[in-house]
Amino acid sequence: MDPSEVEFLAEKEHVKIVPNFTQDTIYLISGDIGPFVAGLPVCVPLWLAVNLKQRQKCRVVPPDWMTLEVLQEKKQAEMDSRFFTEMPSPFYIEITQLLLQCATDDIPRADEIRTLIKDIWDLRIAKLRSSVDVFIKSEESHAKLNFLTLMEINTVREFLTKGLDHMHQLKSNLNGGGMASNSQFL
Amino acid sequence: MAAYSVDLSTGNNYFDLNDILASQEKIPCIFNIAVEGLGYLDQSTPDPDIGVGTKLELPLWLAKYLHRDARGIVSVETPKTYREGYRQILAADPSVVDLHRLGPHFYLGGGKLALFNLPDIQDVLKTLLQTFQGRFRRIMDGSQNALHTDLTNQINMLDESERRLFAAGQRGLLEFQSWESRESEKLSTSSVVLNQRKRKWVGACRDSGD
Repeated sequence: MDPSEVEFLAEKEHVKIVPNFTQDTIYLISGDIGPFVAGLPVCVPLWLAVNLKQRQKCRVVPPDWMTLEVLQEKKQAEMDSRFFTEMPSPFYIEITQLLLQCATDDIPRADEIRTLIKDIWDLRIAKLRSSVDVFIKSEESHAKLNFLTLMEINTVREFLTKGLDHMHQLKSNLNGGGMASNSQFL
Repeated sequence: MAAYSVDLSTGNNYFDLNDILASQEKIPCIFNIAVEGLGYLDQSTPDPDIGVGTKLELPLWLAKYLHRDARGIVSVETPKTYREGYRQILAADPSVVDLHRLGPHFYLGGGKLALFNLPDIQDVLKTLLQTFQGRFRRIMDGSQNALHTDLTNQINMLDESERRLFAAGQRGLLEFQSWESRESEKLSTSSVVLNQRKRKWVGACRDSGD
């Protein structure tokens, strides 16, 4: 899966915007959006928010978790815990990325938020890597990881599945090798 | 590879090129019976025939059929790189060994040795598994971390299957990086079109014709 496909899925998440125009409800298959009243906050999918913002038609209200305090707390919790902690949004990195790209002026202290999110991401990826390593070394056949987000899984997906494939082959050599080769020669 | 994956323990995976390459590895064999007229295989003697007890290195795919059971035409020995000495090196610290030098298809070839009733086959297979587990962390870190450093030295030490793994890890990292730097949202020419030289040739011919 490509990261841009993950981003596509993330664009279905809802964010709050304050439009500066008035328009009736838009009826879409995925649900109704609006009605838009200038100056009144409304919830729209991320893709629409990005589009309206690019056309200067709205102001984005940053999600509750996109503040320095919440993210600093989150980062500390992530550092203290041995396991993955639950993220405020399953698409936290994608939403931050998109909003910080187009709506920097609406988000207070955008630079620090970008750094914090990146720190949290790095912490989680490092954690993910060491759990993958423990998993491979322990020769278990399954493991459970809570609170991993799609983008995080996606970066190790191909590597992990190939690695497990390889290990499975080596293991099945070891377990069934002798018997299977005998039966072939009969 | 996975689509046609056959049980590896039977040693055949018809559609896998790497499997075919791995079965070309030479393994030491001893002839149990005399074979007439094949002396040219053994270049150390002028003898036209191969005598009993001649030691020869045969490719794995050939040895497999000459070694049917205990009374087969040849009996097989463990190749040097899988013997006790090398196993101890691998057990000591698998992550610093140059596996590509021990055999470009170290894991695959080692797995194929299960076809022969070697006395130490269980140890060999166990070593293969432990070697991979020991080297996994370095492959992962190397492929997922360093983006702007020269990794040639590290890649050179990997066996072919590990290299494929390494490439997969790098692909994941690069895709994420290009998404993060907003490169992936830009439209670009497909590499197929870029590499297609036919159209350019047509143009070149016409130019020279005029």
